[in-house]
Amino acid sequence: MDPQQQQLVPAAPAGAEAPAYRDNSAQASIPHEITHGPAFAMLRVDLPPGQVVIAEAGAMVARHTGVAMDVKMNAGKDPGFFGMLKAIVIALIRKVVGGETFFVNHFSASQGGSVWIAPTMSGQVLHRRMNGETITLSTGAFLCSAGDVDMSLKFGGFRALFAREGAFFLEVSGRGDLWFTSYGGIEAIDVNGTYIVDNGHLVGYEGALTFDIRSAGGGLMGMVASGEGLVCEFKGQGRVYIQSRNHSSLLSWLRPLVGG
Amino acid sequence: MQINLLHRPAQALAQVWLEPNESIVAESGAMVGMTTNVQMQTQSGGLMKGLKRMFGGESFFRNTFTAHNGNGELLLAHALSGDMSVLEMTQHGYFLQSSAFIASSPTVNIETKVGGFRGFFSGAGVFVLKAVSQGPGQVLVGGFGGIQELMCDGNIVIDTGHLVAWDATLTYTVGKSGAGWIASYLSGEGLVCHFKGQGRIWIQTRNPVEYGRSVGSQLPPRG
Repeated sequence: MDPQQQQLVPAAPAGAEAPAYRDNSAQASIPHEITHGPAFAMLRVDLPPGQVVIAEAGAMVARHTGVAMDVKMNAGKDPGFFGMLKAIVIALIRKVVGGETFFVNHFSASQGGSVWIAPTMSGQVLHRRMNGETITLSTGAFLCSAGDVDMSLKFGGFRALFAREGAFFLEVSGRGDLWFTSYGGIEAIDVNGTYIVDNGHLVGYEGALTFDIRSAGGGLMGMVASGEGLVCEFKGQGRVYIQSRNHSSLLSWLRPLVGG
Repeated sequence: MQINLLHRPAQALAQVWLEPNESIVAESGAMVGMTTNVQMQTQSGGLMKGLKRMFGGESFFRNTFTAHNGNGELLLAHALSGDMSVLEMTQHGYFLQSSAFIASSPTVNIETKVGGFRGFFSGAGVFVLKAVSQGPGQVLVGGFGGIQELMCDGNIVIDTGHLVAWDATLTYTVGKSGAGWIASYLSGEGLVCHFKGQGRIWIQTRNPVEYGRSVGSQLPPRG
């Protein structure tokens, strides 16, 4: 610990009540409300002075004029020079594979104020209080976060490169608030053993789970014939979040109807 | 006239009850169904007015529905999935985002106005409609997703793509979302509307243009 930090966190005097900030798990979530769900959910966060909400670029619906917006590269906490370099490389990859934009907006209010946030697609917004766990999200499922929440990009394996979805995942960890979003409704599935989820319907997962990306029908032929594409086979114990709609299906339904 | 909203909030349908000889003016294409005693008349209100509407992002023509020989029923819908709201006319009237307009009482005058910012790249916010009336009347608006009423008490900033309608008591300017043009571009927020004053603002929880771009960019070009 550097000396500056030591000064910021003085030792509690003997006999005094432990200050609230020492116990992060008891810390209350930032005031917020999710409305208009499940079809067209929108989030309102009431920012106390000094708190920051980090949101996906383009997700803001409205804000009080007193709420400041700063655009930043999504490089995680204190990245340093190499961290920034890594972020740029990752950003380019994400752009190519059709993930999110590589910028995020930081919202803060010195006097307090609200910000309204919504995703692009029709669907739900879910809140998750993070108390040191790790949750892995599909790219595109992240909406915003507050508090000491960190994110890093995870490679889904070479097989996943064949699929539009599942090539990269976002690993979210730390303490704070996380809001994630889905196309359609979100269903939480508690897995104990094994479970198979279509790549395009995967929102995220948490717990002691490992997964393998493979073709649903077995082999390339099965993948083409079944129309199910790639699936994630989960093993272990944990929770998997799925969405009731998927982008690829919408696009393949629309494609033959456009132009003509 | 009485307007009943069915199938809210995701797929709203407006059920309009017309008294004998009563009329309602609706956006072309909004009619879903009607009793046979309701007659439809198509008007442009003059070539210039029609053209002006077209530039405003609406259709050239507007239809007037009138109930003859007794009460009539008319069903109206919006093109996009989402909610609808009935706004009761006030002394100051309303500004409407042009694609939000569905129908209005014949006493309500709907004018096309330049939205205050000539942004060719914006896709929204170039033209707005102003609804004014001498007496009582109603305006039916539709949104993409849910509709949320916000109170502006001083200052609020709203993404132009999420606007449905606002009280004409509010003053507004359309501008960049961030501190500079580069920051605004990177922020992905496009153009925003800065509101000042006291009044109500109705927003839609999804942005139609953003949705269209997100899906449309992955489709083949039109042949």
